[in-house]
Amino acid sequence: MTENNIKIVAFLCNWCSYGAADLAGVSRMQYPADVRAIRIPCTGRLSPKFILSALREGCDAVWVSG
Amino acid sequence: MVTFKLNGKQVQGEDGQYIIHVAEKYGVEIPTLCHHKALEPAGMCRICTVELFDGRRTKFVTACNYPIWEGMEVKTDTDAVHQGRKLIVEMLYARCPEVPLLQKLAKQYKIKAPRFKKEDDTCILCGLCVRMCEKMGNAAISFAGRGTEMRIDTPFGIQSDVCMACGACASVCPTGHITLAKIKEEFTKTHPSLIPSEYEMGLQGRKPVYVPYAQAVPNTPAIDRSVCMHFKTGGCKVCAEVCQMDAIDHMMKDEVVDIDAGAVVLSPGFEPFDPSKFDNYGYASHPNVMTAMEFERILSASGPTGGHLTRMSDHKEPKKVAWFQCVGSRDQNRCDNKYCSSVCCMYALKEAVIAKEHAGDDLECAIFYMDMRTHGKDFERYYNRAKDQGIRFERSRVHTVVPQDVTGDLKITYTNEAGKNINETFDMIVLSVGLEISPEIIDMAKKLGIELTDGNFAKTSSFAPVETNRKGVFVAGAFQGPKDIPQSVVDSSAAAGEAGAMLATVRNTLTRVPEEIPETNIVGERPRIGVFVCKCGTNIAGVVNVPEVRDYAADLPYVEYCSDNLYSCSQDTQETMTQIIKANKLNRIVVAACTPKTHEPLFQETLINAGLNKYLFEMTNIRNHASWVHKDAPELATQKAKDLVRMAVSKVALMEPLDEAELQVKPVAMVIGGGISGMVSAKNLAEQGYEVHLIEKDKVLGGQANNLYQTFQDENIAQKLGSLIKDVQENDRVNIHMETTLENVDGFVGNFTSELKKDESSTTLAHGVAVIATGAHGYTPDEYCYGKDDRVITSLDLDKKFMEKDTVLPSLQTAVFIQCVGSREPERPYCSRVCCTHSIDNALELKTLNPDMNVFILYRDIRTYGEREYKYQQAREAGVIFIRYSVDQKPMVEVSDTKLLITVTDHVLGVPVQIDADLLTLATAIVPNKDEKLANFFKVPLNEDGFFVERHAKLGPSEFATDGVFLCGLAHYPKPIDEAIAHGQAAASRAVTLLAKETVHTSGNVAKIDPMKCSACGVCVSICPYSAPAFETQGRFEGKAGINPVLCKGCGLCVASCRSGAIHLKGFDTNQILAQIFALNEEAV
Repeated sequence: MTENNIKIVAFLCNWCSYGAADLAGVSRMQYPADVRAIRIPCTGRLSPKFILSALREGCDAVWVSG
Repeated sequence: MVTFKLNGKQVQGEDGQYIIHVAEKYGVEIPTLCHHKALEPAGMCRICTVELFDGRRTKFVTACNYPIWEGMEVKTDTDAVHQGRKLIVEMLYARCPEVPLLQKLAKQYKIKAPRFKKEDDTCILCGLCVRMCEKMGNAAISFAGRGTEMRIDTPFGIQSDVCMACGACASVCPTGHITLAKIKEEFTKTHPSLIPSEYEMGLQGRKPVYVPYAQAVPNTPAIDRSVCMHFKTGGCKVCAEVCQMDAIDHMMKDEVVDIDAGAVVLSPGFEPFDPSKFDNYGYASHPNVMTAMEFERILSASGPTGGHLTRMSDHKEPKKVAWFQCVGSRDQNRCDNKYCSSVCCMYALKEAVIAKEHAGDDLECAIFYMDMRTHGKDFERYYNRAKDQGIRFERSRVHTVVPQDVTGDLKITYTNEAGKNINETFDMIVLSVGLEISPEIIDMAKKLGIELTDGNFAKTSSFAPVETNRKGVFVAGAFQGPKDIPQSVVDSSAAAGEAGAMLATVRNTLTRVPEEIPETNIVGERPRIGVFVCKCGTNIAGVVNVPEVRDYAADLPYVEYCSDNLYSCSQDTQETMTQIIKANKLNRIVVAACTPKTHEPLFQETLINAGLNKYLFEMTNIRNHASWVHKDAPELATQKAKDLVRMAVSKVALMEPLDEAELQVKPVAMVIGGGISGMVSAKNLAEQGYEVHLIEKDKVLGGQANNLYQTFQDENIAQKLGSLIKDVQENDRVNIHMETTLENVDGFVGNFTSELKKDESSTTLAHGVAVIATGAHGYTPDEYCYGKDDRVITSLDLDKKFMEKDTVLPSLQTAVFIQCVGSREPERPYCSRVCCTHSIDNALELKTLNPDMNVFILYRDIRTYGEREYKYQQAREAGVIFIRYSVDQKPMVEVSDTKLLITVTDHVLGVPVQIDADLLTLATAIVPNKDEKLANFFKVPLNEDGFFVERHAKLGPSEFATDGVFLCGLAHYPKPIDEAIAHGQAAASRAVTLLAKETVHTSGNVAKIDPMKCSACGVCVSICPYSAPAFETQGRFEGKAGINPVLCKGCGLCVASCRSGAIHLKGFDTNQILAQIFALNEEAV
């Protein structure tokens, strides 16, 4: 997928971490392109199913932030 | 139009364009070092060389300055072209072997070492600087010398007075040959300096065209005319040439706009005190002495050091940092700011705590202060925690800072509490500067005829805290007095509420209603997805290959239409999108652009205009999450953008149109508590045109204010309270329910039903909103012999004596006050905020009755914040003696027949002092009523002290997280009358924002229960923080859980915890999120 060939899925809370990811962009902070964010309304929404299915789908890591 | 062949493909360009322009348009990369969009091409570096076939023969031309013509054939990618470019790079590399750009190019063209003799130049004579300088309208530099002697220089090689040190030459120099230092030393006679960034407090420079800060609203760049070269020379205009939207107009003039307004709110804010005038702190001369505002930027992740704690002189990580409090506050010797700035103690504490978080526990933080003023809600706890974290507090005012030249360290000399002189060295010193009103604002106040206080703040009375002396002109925030964020937010709501009361009769007379567009029913239709990929100028397109992403999206399932936009958010694009949606009968839309947090509503509006339900939409962020953060990896960023688009397409295909429930708001308010803030709230609500029910459990209105004598501004409380009660009683819209209690509350925002009980009879009240103003009461002490002797009384008892004109008071010889009785104690670890001012006021009153009376105030920290500080000064001038005691050595009180014997260890002498007193007044704590029943009725939280917890400590001080329920007065936190009144007005104002809407729309993104699957386990009911799920009490699904969409905030907590899988979160449903996860696994190719 990327040069490191790893895949990370990030479940980001709309109110904090998703905004933080936006701000990282505004501040032009550079980070590896291995992360794909999925916006969720609250980390309370995160069912363990999502983590398991992400891992099953071949993700190397799952990041939950909120 | 000119048509020609580029690398075998037919391409088109405008007449007069050069090859490089057309190549760029078609995404063909041609390297160049000397080309600049805004400058005339010069063909200097020759790297853009391409092969041209003119029909007869092939030749090499430079793409940057070769005009296109009909029928020509250009090749940019042949071996001959690469060989030619390689030779040019090799020669340039030999000339400038140390320049990183050429090293990189040499590596790219696989040149290990040049075959030519290496020189040590850094200039490739591309002439960009010369052309740019000319463009600036100056021409201060040009090529000088001939042949091998050619160089960039000023005429005669002397520092030029034509050069204005704008830095344009350095900004375009590709090799770094021209630097700001070179300009300073060789080019110019003027002194070059950075344009200080206001946002970074001058710690960093900014450009003449700038966005003030990342979150600025509007987030549009502005041109600073005072530094822009165009406004100095008439030249430049580079910005206008690079702007793809032609948005820049240098001819724009300032306009005077007349606005017809019924009321004006002044909230011009403050200016931090400038400590450069204090030579003893060396702020102006030493970079390691900085203001707290500058230090904030150092701590900020978006600041000049990226949040890395370093000092300015040598970028070393400091080991020891000191804060000096009260710089420019509580000081009438060196500046005229006699007031306390209220916020500095707390911000210094916060900075010290965060500095330790950033730098690690080894960082030594010391705060030099006079009184630690942590009088806000939960501030005292923060102070205690800071002490536990090892932050040192020195009660001392430092007089001198001596910079240690070699190291950049700073030596300070101060006298500690024991009276000893101490020398100590710090790496950095932060000056906790006070708040000031700027001269421009003072000037504005004069023009508007606004009366100011001694401290230049807008003068207001305690009973009308946001009203200026001029009718219809209101004030909010620090212009009313130094204050922190929550208090400013309270003020602003209060000012809006008071202005709203004035203008209630004309509400909505200027409102325009948008045209309603009927929604197309798409249920059951096969998804027809439209994907719009935004270039955001070059913000996205500069890194992500947008055409590639667009073409990729076209092949995704259900995608019927794809396009890219230069700026998707521009008004014309919005209109085009509406047309496209209609024309192509699209029923799901994906926009790949910036953040949904700011732009989702805009695109949803576009959907609505196109007759689509606004929830048939998904936005994915390929700017903030891709192009901006992976700018050095364009291919990876493009791949990521494709992945994100694919994920969004998979999700949007599963989106369904959602309904937003609409419900009527009953235009009736219930205010619980007939104290001052409750009455003010009721009065404002009534004045704004709403029916109010004021519930009071007692026989009298007025609450605690009945026990108070006068405000810190010497206003008689009983008198003002009387007229407020009269106002409320006489207002037809206010229904007062005396001796009434609240027995039950049902319903939710807009539709509450409350059960009121009076004399055993119950009535029900239907109301749309509720304001909780249940107050607090005075602490009844069991310490200091209270209750054992009549001469030991509380502050409220003393107020009563004043009101009753007690004849004993003038004859007293000695009166003593003890502060913090029951406050700032382990069982009540908060400051009661009002007691210092109250005792000082009462001490002054005693001194007025009998100037010879000995008055002592035994205190821990005097917290006369804001302009209350003047009272503290007056008291000292009047001869009131202040003795500080420490919490582990509290005063001792003994009762004898003739006197009260009070023993306290004097903080200056260090020995116990005995005072024979006739009267001892205990400044007792304010204790919340801790009404758990009420908290349960409205599902609102109480904190550990028993005060209600507001929606947000800073930004939502007058409302609860529960919609439709508002908060004011002492039930929130101890506060003096002026703040309680502002809070009452603020709560009413917030309530009106709901009442005025008449209807509320819920979000479509709410949870819904499938009753067939629900096992009625009750997890959702117990887990929801908003009480949205409840068991159905009737109907077919009685006993099963159901969700009230009005209360649901769409957080999905219940969905994730439902073990039966019975709950769906509309818009973020399990299948939709899983679709995104599954889409992640497919590779973009």
